[in-house]
Amino acid sequence: MILRLISANVILGLAPIALVIASWQGLVSFGFAPAALLPPPGHVFGRLLQQLVTWTFQLEIAATLIRLFAGFAIAVVLGVSIGIAAAASPAINAAVRPIVRVLAPLPKVALYPALLLLLGFGHGSKVTLVAADALFPILLSTYYGASTVEQKLIWSAMAAGTPRYEILFKVVLPAAMPSILTGCRIGLVISCIVVFLAEMITSTDGLGHALVTAARTFQAVDMFVPLITISLLGLILNALLGAVRSYLLRGFPEA
Amino acid sequence: MKVVPSRSSEWVRPVTPQKPASAIIEIDGVSQVFQTSAHKDHVALSDISLTIDEGAFVSILGPSGCGKSTLLYIVGGFVRPTSGVAKIKGAAIIAPGPDRGPVFQEFALFPWKTVLGNVMYGPRQQGVRAAEADAQSRSLIEMVGLKGYENFYPKELSGGMKQRVALARTLAYHPEVLLMDEPFGALDAHTRTRLQNDLLNIWERDRKTVLFVTHSVDEAVFLSDKVVMMSKSPGRIRHVIDIDLPRPRRRNELLLDPRYQKYVVDIERMFDESDGAGFPA
Amino acid sequence: MMSPTTLIRRIAPALACIGLLAIWQVASLVLKNDSFPTAIEAIKAIPDILSDRESLINILASLRRMAMGFGAAVLFSIPLGLLMGRSRAVAAFFNPLLMVIYPVPKAALMPIIMLWLGVGDVTKTLVIFLGVSLPVIYHSFEGAKGVEEKMLWSGAAMGLSPLQRLVRIVLPAALPEILTGCRTGLVLALITMITSEMIARQSGAGNILFNALDMGQYDTVFAMIIVVGAMGICLDAIFERIRARLVRWSEPQFDMPLSFS
Repeated sequence: MILRLISANVILGLAPIALVIASWQGLVSFGFAPAALLPPPGHVFGRLLQQLVTWTFQLEIAATLIRLFAGFAIAVVLGVSIGIAAAASPAINAAVRPIVRVLAPLPKVALYPALLLLLGFGHGSKVTLVAADALFPILLSTYYGASTVEQKLIWSAMAAGTPRYEILFKVVLPAAMPSILTGCRIGLVISCIVVFLAEMITSTDGLGHALVTAARTFQAVDMFVPLITISLLGLILNALLGAVRSYLLRGFPEA
Repeated sequence: MKVVPSRSSEWVRPVTPQKPASAIIEIDGVSQVFQTSAHKDHVALSDISLTIDEGAFVSILGPSGCGKSTLLYIVGGFVRPTSGVAKIKGAAIIAPGPDRGPVFQEFALFPWKTVLGNVMYGPRQQGVRAAEADAQSRSLIEMVGLKGYENFYPKELSGGMKQRVALARTLAYHPEVLLMDEPFGALDAHTRTRLQNDLLNIWERDRKTVLFVTHSVDEAVFLSDKVVMMSKSPGRIRHVIDIDLPRPRRRNELLLDPRYQKYVVDIERMFDESDGAGFPA
Repeated sequence: MMSPTTLIRRIAPALACIGLLAIWQVASLVLKNDSFPTAIEAIKAIPDILSDRESLINILASLRRMAMGFGAAVLFSIPLGLLMGRSRAVAAFFNPLLMVIYPVPKAALMPIIMLWLGVGDVTKTLVIFLGVSLPVIYHSFEGAKGVEEKMLWSGAAMGLSPLQRLVRIVLPAALPEILTGCRTGLVLALITMITSEMIARQSGAGNILFNALDMGQYDTVFAMIIVVGAMGICLDAIFERIRARLVRWSEPQFDMPLSFS
């Protein structure tokens, strides 16, 4: 019964995706859109598979992934540590709060030209931009999670003889984990998006650059391929993070 | 602000902080004032003095909002009193420590640890070797009736089972005093009586000192050697009543015992009579 | 009467701005890099940008597109999100599609949409619309899903039709969550706007940034960054005021801005 319900939902969910592809095909087949502007879906996916096995395209993917992971990793380390520190210490909180208030709504991509000037056109500026964009959701959800840890969990650990500084690692961090991972999930998608955009704005390699190159020569098919690739990467990474999440949060309700 | 005991009878005696040789916890003139808003203070506890003997099962009974939990938190060292001092074995309480083990109404189990992991936490924190802590914890889990659930996560257990784990987790680091904060308050009536019976069985084996906060008159009389009645706004001790009922206590015998019934009825009447700060219906 | 602590809390963001600018000033003095002007030099360049007719028109045109894209996205996304939150079937229908679209960088669609619709306002507004929609849909969905079932039962008992229940019960009950989504969407609208202009390089605030970069007018680059940053902070602050007013009845959620969430 439940199985049938799930499969009904799956069919219902796949319907709009199939519909989009079908109408895409329809637009091309019935001549509403010239193939030069909107290549048929079969053509695009064929091209994608063909590209995925070429060495040059794999290098583009690698360049994008390196930047993505480096930026995301920096954001996670900084975001989690600042978030926990702000929740644990009123002094740090007083300093961090107004700075976050100012920097969080600031469109980080506007800093990109400055980063280019300071860090050059290589990996550094892109990694920094990714880190700056992914940092705040992670920091804020860590802070939120850490500052709403149930008081009595902390008391229970203290009564069992846990020193204050260990409370941070043994209680606050694991208790805030659901919230931290939610922040990481958002940060990861942002990282995917930002790394691609940064490569589009100015780069010599990476998936974003591949799109821009194709756009300059009006190669519609080649414009779709990097876009689909980055979305697939996003979905795969999201699924991996989901797996990590359900492992780490196996004890938590509604994980 | 003084504690003025209103009446006395053969088993109601005035609160006079006396110091028997075997006192383990002494609460001396403790007051707690919370700042509720900018210029308003709420007096949660007013000049509380109380002595608890080693090995005694003492209940603190009172309406909600009378500060009984706060008093327990002060003994736990989780909350510092505004004035006065609480002592354990003559030493002022300034922080939580493994000599005083809390059991909360909300269970407060670590959701990221299994039943075994939760119970082992205290011993491991005390530096007990892993293998030894494991063995001790398993036998404790068995004692609270959860054998077979060692590798379950708290979310997979019912409320009553969670509270059993919480009790085992606290007993695992051998506190000298158990601080129980309405531990059965979140449980249904049936589970509640079962846990009361089991708690008594466990307690009657080694007679640890227990400070037990509750708002249930039956529960207090059934479990305790001594019942401390509090009234609210500000929280004060009204009476301290010795419960002179034989142990080991069996629920089915006790409920029929006229002495038990008299304690319950008298305590309820005293709450009704006391200064309008009535007992919750 | 304001107590000293509330006063400090009020002006703390301003202090943070001054502090950040001071760090910038010191850093640029220490680095002595030609392409890294001091904060004061950058601030001095701001009046030049704002008094230049062409760049002012550019910036205002950007803001107009942003407002249109944001407005259209909100009008489209809130009803969709609420419907998804109240109907399992609608949610099952749209969720996978939205999940696939979620990691697509919306501003990256710029070149493709440009191919179809040209470089005009429609393209840029459409990209902003796409960027804003997802978080607003998501938060409206979550908000509507969290509405207490019994509140709807009471509504049905009072004789409200399903549509009336959606408008008069679900919408207000989900409002705090919806507005959180709108706040995220607003910041995203600005980001998408700047990014799409950086990619299209034809007009707008993002274009001014890169034109100045290409021409080596570094103080203009940094001045423009301040302008864009100020826009972000002001928009967020104004929206936060409106939000706080609309949902006064709801518990204070969280006093740090949760961008993107």
